[in-house]
Amino acid sequence: MNTKNETGLIRMRSFVSRRDMMKTMALGTAGLALTGTVARAQSTTSINMVCWQGYDDAFKAGSFMADNGYEINPTYIGSNDEILTKITAGGRGSIDIVTPYMGYVPLMVAADMLEPIDETSVPNLANVLPVFRNDPNIVVDGKLYAAPFTWGAAPMLYDPEFFGSTVPSSWRILETPELEGKFGFSDDPIGNITIAAILATDATVATELTEAQLKDAIDYLIMLKGKARLVATSWGELADAMARGEIVATFSGWETMKKFVADKGKNVEFTYPEEGTFAWLDNVCIVKGAPNLEADLKMANHVLSVESQRMVGEEMLQGIVSQKAIDALSPSAAALYPYEDMTAFGRSATFFPFPPLEERDGLVSIGRWNEEYERFKSA
Amino acid sequence: MDRNWKQHLLMLPAFAVFVVFFVAPFIYFFVLSFWRVKLYKISPDFSFVNYGKAIERYVPIYQLTFSVAFAVAITCVVLGIIYAGVVRFKAGRWATLLTFIPLMTLFGGYLVKIYAWKTILGINGILNGALIRLGLTGEPLTALFYSPFAVAITLVYFLLPFAILPIYASMRSIEDIELDAARDLGASPWRRFSDIIVPRCRPGIVSAFIICFLLTVGDYVTPILVGGKISMIGNMITPQFGQKFDWPLGAAMSFVTLTLSVGFVVAFSLAMRLWRPR
Repeated sequence: MNTKNETGLIRMRSFVSRRDMMKTMALGTAGLALTGTVARAQSTTSINMVCWQGYDDAFKAGSFMADNGYEINPTYIGSNDEILTKITAGGRGSIDIVTPYMGYVPLMVAADMLEPIDETSVPNLANVLPVFRNDPNIVVDGKLYAAPFTWGAAPMLYDPEFFGSTVPSSWRILETPELEGKFGFSDDPIGNITIAAILATDATVATELTEAQLKDAIDYLIMLKGKARLVATSWGELADAMARGEIVATFSGWETMKKFVADKGKNVEFTYPEEGTFAWLDNVCIVKGAPNLEADLKMANHVLSVESQRMVGEEMLQGIVSQKAIDALSPSAAALYPYEDMTAFGRSATFFPFPPLEERDGLVSIGRWNEEYERFKSA
Repeated sequence: MDRNWKQHLLMLPAFAVFVVFFVAPFIYFFVLSFWRVKLYKISPDFSFVNYGKAIERYVPIYQLTFSVAFAVAITCVVLGIIYAGVVRFKAGRWATLLTFIPLMTLFGGYLVKIYAWKTILGINGILNGALIRLGLTGEPLTALFYSPFAVAITLVYFLLPFAILPIYASMRSIEDIELDAARDLGASPWRRFSDIIVPRCRPGIVSAFIICFLLTVGDYVTPILVGGKISMIGNMITPQFGQKFDWPLGAAMSFVTLTLSVGFVVAFSLAMRLWRPR
């Protein structure tokens, strides 16, 4: 029994003899050893993943992670470029999975960053719609380097409390005095320049620009930045600003931001403005030298399962690629994207090619895009 | 001779740590600042192109960064002198407690403090709410948040303890009798402050300025979270080492920033030396 002295303090010496202490220590040591044994028996495989915020949740659908003893150690990105730099700057041998936009895949293969995907280990690829499965970017020299798992477009997010029943139909609304100081950007170089090129240049393909067209696009972005309230470094930060009422609309965006904002207790909607926007197809890629190759392939297969794909379509509000999962979507989630008629989607959002890696035919390279984007950042 | 040799030997571990973790990276990044990057591969080269870009492209960013850093450092120094003066000369038996208060704020995390200011300065924040309730404004003031003002006020709050402590440490060396003697001889409060307190606190004031100034110049998290669309030089250097993988340009920008910072610090130190008792 513990006894308390007059001061109320517990007197250890009154109940712990030297012998008792030795016994306690021995038991403690045994206990620690046993705990260690149990911990080893239940050891988990840690998968290092570099992805957009929220993508790791898609892999966690159902009991797959627990069943296989996997855990994800995610690093969130603010742009696709970060995937390349994280691999280059010491990521080889430690990063397992990355989720680049399809345009980056040929570049990453050329830089020897990706492991080809053994299709026999990813049987769920068979359920992927041919339009995505046959994307020319993800197959290089006859080898598949990416498993496409989700797609979408860059919408404008808006606050219905501010706009009422009127859905903003044009990006140009951001140029009006009513929206001055009330909208935000995300710091996404390629995305921002692409939409600006649609709006401010006569380029036939918004990712293939001449020097003059690139300059016009950046000048447009600088003009718009002058009217904006925020250039956020991540979609999460942009969503946070919407949730706190700091901004009521976005230039570019991500459908999943609707969920991010809803999680903070506010309702926002998204729309694809009439001038058009860019579409994207994100993929599971395995990094060359990945420490858990077998587990990575299982993860790639799982994210194409009906369970995981439904989660992406229903909860993340993103486009999904598996026909079986599309068939199992709720009517409201299925109505978000024109799964039956992808041509209709193409009228409001385009899968543009990646900007040229090298300057060619008067078109500037991606390096030049990044350089010019610094002018926007500095303005 | 033998004793000297042993002393040098004992210093070797500290020297090794300094060389490995400071001197070597410093030299590496200095050399790197003259190299180039092509398709995510760094190639050894020698050119001043990166320095040309670092200076030419980012002039407005340097101007903003050093303006904010100077404003923050001066504000911290002034508030630090006032607070330390009150603690040293007016607080009496409460001095220990009042010294402990700025130390306590250091227990709070840096990010927690930034997020706290988000809730204070935001459009629906505490300050705007109070201003509207008091009838001082009809609409929330958007300039309070996502602005250079928000960056400055957040950094002042974070850095103030780093200014108070060295200034207070300097003030402790001033004896009451010195100020009493000056007062008895007819010196005004400003004269006592100017001719006794400032010269005797010069090392503390310079230290406080340097700490606050350099930490502000190098900060890139505060502008991200409360700066809105403004970027400071840290926000331009960080992506060079991450998103853009242009380490040579990032290194050149860092050395330009370092040189300018050293210039500011030396100028402030010299200005303080010119402050002499009449």
